[in-house]
Amino acid sequence: MAAVQDGPMELDAEKETKPEILSDGTSNLSGNTASGTLSSSPLTAAPAGGAPKMEDQQTLIAVLQFLKRNKLSESVEILRREAGLGEHQEDSQATDGSGGGKGDGDGGDANSLLSRVFITSAAAPQSMLVKKDQPDVSVVLSAYSQQGDPPLYQVYYSGLKNFIESVLDCHRAELSQLFYPLFVHMYLELVYNNHETKAKAFFDKFSGDQECYYQDDLRILCGLTKKEHLKGNEVLLDFRTSRFVLRISRDSYQLLKRHLQERHNNQIWNIIQEHLYIDIFDGMPRSKSQIDSMSGSLAGEARREVNKAKVFYGLLKEPEIEVPLDDEDDEAENEEGKPKKKKTKKDSLGSKSKKQDPNAPQQNRIPLPELKDSDKLDKIMYMKESTKRIRLGPENLPSICFYTFLNAFQGLTAVDFTDDSSLLAGGFADSTVRVWSVTPKKLRKVKSTAELNVIDKESDDVLERIMDEKTASESKILHGHSGPVYGVSFSPDRNYLLSSSEDGTVRLWSLQTFTCLVGYKGHNYPVWDTQFSPFGYYFVSGGHDRVARLWATDHYQPLRIFAGHLADVTCTQFHPNSNYVATGSTDRTVRLWDVLNGNCVRILTGHKGPIHSLAFSPNGKFLASGSTDGRVLLWDIGHGLMIGELKGHTDTIYALKFSRDGEILASGSMDNTVRLWDSMKAFDEVETDDFTATTGHIHLPDNSQELLLGMYHSKSTPVTHLHFTRRNLLLAAGAYNSQ
Amino acid sequence: MASPKTVPKDAQVMMQILKDMGITEYDPRVINQMLEFTYRYVTTIIEDAKIYSTHAKKSNVDADDIRLAIQCRVDQSFTSPPPRDFLLDIARQKNQTPLPLIKPYTGPRLPPDRYCLTAPNYRLKSLQKKVSSSAGRITVPRLSVGAVSSRPSTPTLGTPSVQTVGTKVGTPVSLTGQRFTVQIPSSQAASVKSATPTTPTVQNVLINPSLIGSKNILITTNMVSQNSSSDSTSLKRKHEDEDEYDAL
Repeated sequence: MAAVQDGPMELDAEKETKPEILSDGTSNLSGNTASGTLSSSPLTAAPAGGAPKMEDQQTLIAVLQFLKRNKLSESVEILRREAGLGEHQEDSQATDGSGGGKGDGDGGDANSLLSRVFITSAAAPQSMLVKKDQPDVSVVLSAYSQQGDPPLYQVYYSGLKNFIESVLDCHRAELSQLFYPLFVHMYLELVYNNHETKAKAFFDKFSGDQECYYQDDLRILCGLTKKEHLKGNEVLLDFRTSRFVLRISRDSYQLLKRHLQERHNNQIWNIIQEHLYIDIFDGMPRSKSQIDSMSGSLAGEARREVNKAKVFYGLLKEPEIEVPLDDEDDEAENEEGKPKKKKTKKDSLGSKSKKQDPNAPQQNRIPLPELKDSDKLDKIMYMKESTKRIRLGPENLPSICFYTFLNAFQGLTAVDFTDDSSLLAGGFADSTVRVWSVTPKKLRKVKSTAELNVIDKESDDVLERIMDEKTASESKILHGHSGPVYGVSFSPDRNYLLSSSEDGTVRLWSLQTFTCLVGYKGHNYPVWDTQFSPFGYYFVSGGHDRVARLWATDHYQPLRIFAGHLADVTCTQFHPNSNYVATGSTDRTVRLWDVLNGNCVRILTGHKGPIHSLAFSPNGKFLASGSTDGRVLLWDIGHGLMIGELKGHTDTIYALKFSRDGEILASGSMDNTVRLWDSMKAFDEVETDDFTATTGHIHLPDNSQELLLGMYHSKSTPVTHLHFTRRNLLLAAGAYNSQ
Repeated sequence: MASPKTVPKDAQVMMQILKDMGITEYDPRVINQMLEFTYRYVTTIIEDAKIYSTHAKKSNVDADDIRLAIQCRVDQSFTSPPPRDFLLDIARQKNQTPLPLIKPYTGPRLPPDRYCLTAPNYRLKSLQKKVSSSAGRITVPRLSVGAVSSRPSTPTLGTPSVQTVGTKVGTPVSLTGQRFTVQIPSSQAASVKSATPTTPTVQNVLINPSLIGSKNILITTNMVSQNSSSDSTSLKRKHEDEDEYDAL
């Protein structure tokens, strides 16, 4: 930070013509340097290594950026002209330096900006313009070239620990959030600067103090002792570039700042400014339990403004379809009554949809395929079935039918049911996909062309005649992938099946010929999950490369790339209105993405382990997520808040499903149980007043026991998938585990 | 698990590594798999390093060679996904284009054929040569049979359509020719075999009686479409085949 002082002094010497503008800059900067640490100047060491001319350049560019930020455009022009700088140089520096602002004021920005700029100059003086992979990595890693004295790291950390323990109770919980990110950053700095033994000593001394839910990360860190190890681990690299977000109340923050600024040679303040983003809110400090419920993710919590974008969580209007008159055979009413009844049914649907739900997206917000005749027939079937639906509730629990895969030898990796529950698909570790017929009707494929030539094309049952009865069977095997199949998904019109595999491709299979139609290549790494949109045509896939992609069946390249997660995307789910995609990841966050423009509209933190299952409620307002820590978290999408926590499972939850009307949430896990939860009650109890809406701090009642309606054990079969039929019968699937 | 005393040192080291990484439950064969992997990896690296050091004309392999070997291998086998800023960059580019409109009523919505896997992945060899050779064979029996030469010319069978069965396309022609002659004396013979002894030329047919059946089916398919009423003297077998066909 001392280098900051050097900068303006040089400029003063050079640019006497513009003293007033620069003095503004200087006063701001010097104001902060007084508050900042005048530590053993690590930064001067860096630029001193480079050529002095380069240093001047960098300084000039940094000042230019600062002036631009403060909208002093005239001075920018004048300075640029005098210094003879080109546009492009500034732009590259701008992109380097725009690493997010701080909630604390512009001076902080300039500091971090300048420090980043100087670091860039030390690392890569030539490559200012091009953002290649290698220079980026080294730029990121060189963020650790600011060294404090290695043995003193322990002293700093212990000092902070003592301070925090001596603070008032109400502030202690909040300030304890600092421990983990500081610990990790300090450890990585030591490793990067090749102080291996000291890093190990530091780790051993302080790793035991960290929260229990960070233990997995710490174990990974423990294995990283050399600089070379850092280079290959992109999850940790992302951890470094993204700023760990902490939410601290203003009072606690003032305490911390005062303490750290009293000590001048404190490395900790540097790290906080570099790598942490402190989201300050006004109000009561949070309690430990509140903090615990929200923290756990790899990037800390989410900033408040990230969750403020408007999300259209309403459902799209149902198209009006004429329900045919000649259906209900068990109604022996008078004929005149029947047409009238049907008409009123149509009108009631129509009247609901005449008023535009303010929370629903426009019909044409994203292009959706129009309904074909077969789709309309499907919809009519759907409406007929839904009239026969059982109303579920705490007194009326669903029956559960479990489909056990025998002799699967623990190779079952993915399961899906069609919406009308007629077909079941399983993806296996031997890279096959098998489709079974759940109903007595067998699976038929279309005849070969030679045979098709000779059938009577004019006959009424031509659609039956084209199917080959000779090879009809209960199940069909689809070969094609070259790695375990981790995700399967049926299309809503039952014509297609998608499967995603470890070989990096997503394959589209036809369920009429039982052959593979397309292989979508884009992820070059295992694809962990895929799902069709509720209207067909679009599908989403998420994989090891930390992005989720949106595809359409008739484009061989993805339409949208949802990048932002810090670690693998393990679970993808469409919203019922097909305008949003939710992704759960190994970085312990759930993100909601907008299909229209690819933006991340919600970041939901709170899980303590990788997330493996997601489910939207049928009304589109709520999202449930389950992870390896055995908890199901309920989220209100509109506000971006956590509204419920369902504890009870003891192992990873791989299956979550809401009943057809949203009254019951079923969860299935590796602990061989299916649990039913009262979601109606959980959502009713949400009280959102202004404070919670703005700050996102809800005190969650610990009512998991009351919400649990039933727990059903299977005989050593983990539950891989759950599905509610249209009449609210619960189907479950899993592979028998004989151990 | 074998007791630590009897387990070789390498395996003990591997068990310790697994314990340090926090893995407590594993199949016993995992240790063997890990050891195999380790051996293969280390051997590959050391071999590469030896090559580099001889290239640099050094007498011994030293740490730099090893480091170089590791680096080269890492780029090949242990690739890692692209870094985050790169992904954010391409995501930003990709997400700028608006979603394409969907064309109505176009049948199955699939990418252009080039990107699909729907094309046939086999190609049939052309049968020009074989037809001529078998035609050569036909002529011999034909001559001996005599008057039937007109009939066999009904290979409006169109040899291309018959290709899918096999190579001996020509022979069916001769067989039908044969059959007509055979039929005249005895009628409705249940099988050609019984009728064949009457003519010496039918010996050709006898050689591979199994072929007769399949060829008959072929012939009838095309004959049916072209001259359905042709064979008043058709074999019972032919009828059988036709009946069989209709039942399919």
